[in-house]
Amino acid sequence: MTGGRRVALMALKNAPAIAFAVVLVVFALLSDRFLTVANFTNIVTQASHVAIMAIGMTFVLLTAGIDLSVGAVMYVCVAVLALLFGDLPVLVAFPLVALLGLALGAVNGFFVVQLRGLHPFIITLATLFILRGIALWMTDTRMVFVAEPIMSLGRTSYLGVPWAIWMFAGVFLSAWIVLRQTPFGRQIYAVGQDPAAAAKAGIDVPRVLFAVYCICGLCAALGGLVSIAQVAAASSTFGFQKEFPVIAAAVLGGTSLFGGRGGVVGTIFGAILIQTVENGLVMTNANPYLYPLVTSAIIFFAVLVDSQRSRILDAMNRRKIRVE
Amino acid sequence: MADRAVSESGRARPRAAMAPWLERLVLSEYLVFYLTAVYFLIVWPIVPQIASLSSLYNMATDLLPLLVVAIGQTFVLIVAGIDLSVTSIIALASVVGASVMTADGGYLAGSPFAVPAGIVTFLAVGGLVGWFNGWCCTRLGMPPIIVTLVGLMFLSGVAIWYTTGHTETSSIAGLPRSFVVIGQGRAHGVPHALWVALAVGIAAHLLLRHTVFGRWLFAIGINRKAAEVSGVPVDKAILWAFVISGVCAAISSILYTGRLETGTPVMGERILLDIIAAVVIGGTSLSGGKGKIVWTLGGVLFLVVIDTSLKLLGMSLFVVFAVKGAVILFAAIIDAMRQRIVQRG
Repeated sequence: MTGGRRVALMALKNAPAIAFAVVLVVFALLSDRFLTVANFTNIVTQASHVAIMAIGMTFVLLTAGIDLSVGAVMYVCVAVLALLFGDLPVLVAFPLVALLGLALGAVNGFFVVQLRGLHPFIITLATLFILRGIALWMTDTRMVFVAEPIMSLGRTSYLGVPWAIWMFAGVFLSAWIVLRQTPFGRQIYAVGQDPAAAAKAGIDVPRVLFAVYCICGLCAALGGLVSIAQVAAASSTFGFQKEFPVIAAAVLGGTSLFGGRGGVVGTIFGAILIQTVENGLVMTNANPYLYPLVTSAIIFFAVLVDSQRSRILDAMNRRKIRVE
Repeated sequence: MADRAVSESGRARPRAAMAPWLERLVLSEYLVFYLTAVYFLIVWPIVPQIASLSSLYNMATDLLPLLVVAIGQTFVLIVAGIDLSVTSIIALASVVGASVMTADGGYLAGSPFAVPAGIVTFLAVGGLVGWFNGWCCTRLGMPPIIVTLVGLMFLSGVAIWYTTGHTETSSIAGLPRSFVVIGQGRAHGVPHALWVALAVGIAAHLLLRHTVFGRWLFAIGINRKAAEVSGVPVDKAILWAFVISGVCAAISSILYTGRLETGTPVMGERILLDIIAAVVIGGTSLSGGKGKIVWTLGGVLFLVVIDTSLKLLGMSLFVVFAVKGAVILFAAIIDAMRQRIVQRG
């Protein structure tokens, strides 16, 4: 391998980190308020709900699945919190809502396992419609508000760090430990790479698939809690099409849609990168109509680089085989 | 081999075999038409006005643009791709096309070529976006779901931004009469849009069933590697599948824009999942290699009949959502049952 080629490969391997650095430098040059601690706390706080949901999505993507229903799960959970658990203390209400998210994820998981051979895309598309319908029925398509203790939670910080970031860090650490340090985590990667081989190796594939959808539902509920504590009210479009930024964050972080490749570290980078770009555009007083254009262009280039990397690696492996 | 399949599925699901008539019904490729008919007959006594002329006419006008864009989607699904950018193509083509023709400050306002040029603009926008999608998925080897997801976000942003450059309001009005008539006019009670949809449908059917190109698409969907080895120009065929999807979305945009008499950047925003659901309910597989234009017609018909009936029954938005979801899930379960029956032999 020549030196130039090795540098190119290094660049390709660390593409998300390089994209992040470029974004930071560009916005720091354009605005002097951008590169401050306060602004970064702000970015991470705003990114936390998408990041938490994207961590759950990462588990599903690693098994080569997809969950389109996360936005709807988020809305149902918040509607239940606001309408049914309004009088409960936060410490009781939050675990109940998290359990509800887990249960809704279990419904997805049940159908994915039972209807093997059918793409999870279509199953979670169905549950997206059903759950959104249920939430609209519960709220009567009106705005719902959460009680004061939850709203004040959105403003609380411990040790100078906002509550949302603690939540985000907690979810991230647990997810990282599960994926990297447990047999279950290795089973997820194995199932994503080759379900048939994983089954032959004695892995209970249906159980792993069921579990990742439960985890994704749980994360969607937690993301909903973080989001509602920040905005205090949910309209009938709460969580609508949230699946798109969530999937984008995971893919931007290097998790493959074909399973078996990626991880949660990349995912949080992806989520924070998207939010950083939006924040930077606000700071530099860019035309608001340009926000979606810039964000989607960055995702496009990240995926482009990722796919070129896979191709180059494939090409190199092929050459080795021929030499032998 | 067959024995093993039997014993395996027998062990996994110890359940009595289905009645033969039920099995034949489930296996029928026109199941969705029977279901539509049964549903219609059940709803008819409850809301008699569903069979009224105006209701049927409304259903037809709802159905036609949706059908055209769903036909394009069928091509992409057959090669195991997916095109999520269609609704943004509809929106972008709508505003760009309208900006050419509009009487208030259009590029060709008042010119006799305004309408033909406008239509060409619609088709060009759809074709170019489709070509770009296909190019990214083949030459750059990117996954279709992400390419078109980014296209969905990016193009809808472009459509809104483009509109702000051409008008103070949120949409471009003042379209010439001879254009609007394509979307909403009718002769002897038959809407012009029907002829457009019919032409697209027949062309698509012939292309899929009676040309080498159609064979290529199915071969790629069933086994891409095998197709490549057998000499199918895989990249070229996939590229054209995306171009067809883009052009179909543009034609559908012409119909929608004509119906609304304005070009608006939020057009089609909410029908993306309906389009994919309709194609899949019809029986086209998301994993490629299986699909028919007639099935897509069935899927679109089914969704439109359900939508109309729920509206006539005075159901609120949430019921419409929940029923649509249940229908998609039902279609998914039927598909899984089919696969089991086929496997059992």
